[in-house]
Amino acid sequence: MKGLLLTMALLLLALPARADSYEEHDYILNCSGCHRMDGRGSRTVPSLLAMTELLGKPGVRAYWAQVPGVAQAPLTDARLAALLNWLVKRFTGQSPNPAYTDNEVKRLRSTPARDPVARRSKIRDAILR
Amino acid sequence: MSRLDRWFEGMSRQSARRVSRRSWLSRFGGVLVGGAALPLLPVARAAEKHQVGEDGVKGREGDPRRCEYWRHCAIDGFLCSCCGGSHTACPPGTEMSPVTWIGTCRNPADGIDYIISYNDCCGKTFCGRCMCNRNEGERPLYHWYRNNDINWCGGAKTQTYSCSTAVVVKAAKEAQPEK
Repeated sequence: MKGLLLTMALLLLALPARADSYEEHDYILNCSGCHRMDGRGSRTVPSLLAMTELLGKPGVRAYWAQVPGVAQAPLTDARLAALLNWLVKRFTGQSPNPAYTDNEVKRLRSTPARDPVARRSKIRDAILR
Repeated sequence: MSRLDRWFEGMSRQSARRVSRRSWLSRFGGVLVGGAALPLLPVARAAEKHQVGEDGVKGREGDPRRCEYWRHCAIDGFLCSCCGGSHTACPPGTEMSPVTWIGTCRNPADGIDYIISYNDCCGKTFCGRCMCNRNEGERPLYHWYRNNDINWCGGAKTQTYSCSTAVVVKAAKEAQPEK
């Protein structure tokens, strides 16, 4: 009986969380068209699985919020922050620490990345120097 | 075998004695007409609502060969269902492009918005039949992920555009914000 009640309470807690989370929905609608459902990308689109290459390197946190696809997504700062937290966890296996907040995303996306590809190489190769 | 024959003979003779030919005709006619009229009853029409399409979406399938079909709300191109494929599958000899543009359309059967993926089929010359250009929620080229004037065959092996599909990904939590 106790176990049953506990399960029911847990299920009740889980319900609103599921109903309010837009991360997967926003990923499908705003990212998956080019990066595909599994994030593999294609010949012309970078793979999101390659995000692991940059994990933990200096400057990557800002870079991920400033690449054109993220910064220009038609989403509010709060929804974009939630999407970024979900996306980084999904494709690198690690949640960003600390998590992106709406204020941080607001600040970062107001400065777009002018040359994302060059900046990516710079971040990736930084540790080799 | 002869027993079965005898049984049938007995049955036919008995019915010939008891039932007039006209009465049989009138009953048979009744069954024919009644059967044809059954789908007109509200009961049958109510049951149609619970029909499930090939990709698991409720509601009347409608005609995927028509531009007015609900899943085509933001399409721009030739309908693959007119070109030897269907609204979810490419015609033979073409390849479905892995990259695509994605939007939402409202299903009138259940009032729910669905996420639709407009994958292009590539590899043969353009189909030329059933041109459909509805563009609801489409955006200019600077919002490339909501634009359908891009050749989305860019991700496929060959970039020759043939026709477009409209695949339901899943139910949307809200309509596409651009609408």
